[in-house]
Amino acid sequence: MSIDMNMINYLQAGIKAESARQSAIANNMANMQTDGYRKFDVKFAEAFARAVEDGSDFDPQEMEAEFFQPKSGPINEFGNDVNLHAEVGEMVKNSLRHKAFVRILKKTYDQYDLAIQTP
Amino acid sequence: MKIDGAFNAVDIAISGLKAQNKSMEAISSNVANSRTTDIGNGTPYRRVEAILKAGEGDISGVELDDIAKDMSSFTTVLAPGHPQADANGYLMMPNVDIPVEMMNLNLASRAYQANAAVLKRYQGMVNTSLELLR
Repeated sequence: MSIDMNMINYLQAGIKAESARQSAIANNMANMQTDGYRKFDVKFAEAFARAVEDGSDFDPQEMEAEFFQPKSGPINEFGNDVNLHAEVGEMVKNSLRHKAFVRILKKTYDQYDLAIQTP
Repeated sequence: MKIDGAFNAVDIAISGLKAQNKSMEAISSNVANSRTTDIGNGTPYRRVEAILKAGEGDISGVELDDIAKDMSSFTTVLAPGHPQADANGYLMMPNVDIPVEMMNLNLASRAYQANAAVLKRYQGMVNTSLELLR
């Protein structure tokens, strides 16, 4: 697989992870006042970095973003650990990362475009 | 607190929002209990204050250190008709001073706005960088 194709796959995997995280955040916010709810987060960067480090042939498409419950935050009066401020911060970071990935992806496709248009 | 690297400024601004939110809670408790003469053991409500501290490391967020009780003395008012008044007709009132709370409220909400402004400006900065990729 060429480096370029690899890069597009990486970016796609990243964007998929962002969208998974976005749904985790939405779920957390919706359950802000649910008794006993524990918030969800997405584990992706670590698994991805490990896979890249291994250098073995792996298919980024196959990498599923993994949901997990950190169970570390302070518990509020509803017995859950969702903090609106923390979720807003996660959402800001998530959307910035998403934007970065999409921009880089577009840039990569633009290079193909350029190559095709060159006579 | 753990700072995750890529978007430090976001985490720090959020820690500020959380801390000011706690200050606001303390102020709101003080105002709500500004005339609570008995908290269950015969003494009036004691004013609380959110004590903040910097996180570990040179660049770090802020975190809540403690919710501390204000140990200054209670005020007494003359209220002979009040069921909780002592033999001389004096009643112990909480050591909450509403004007002081209003001032703290102003400070807390301004600090909250400032943190939100930092967050927004940082978002704008990253977006400016991303514009370069267009």
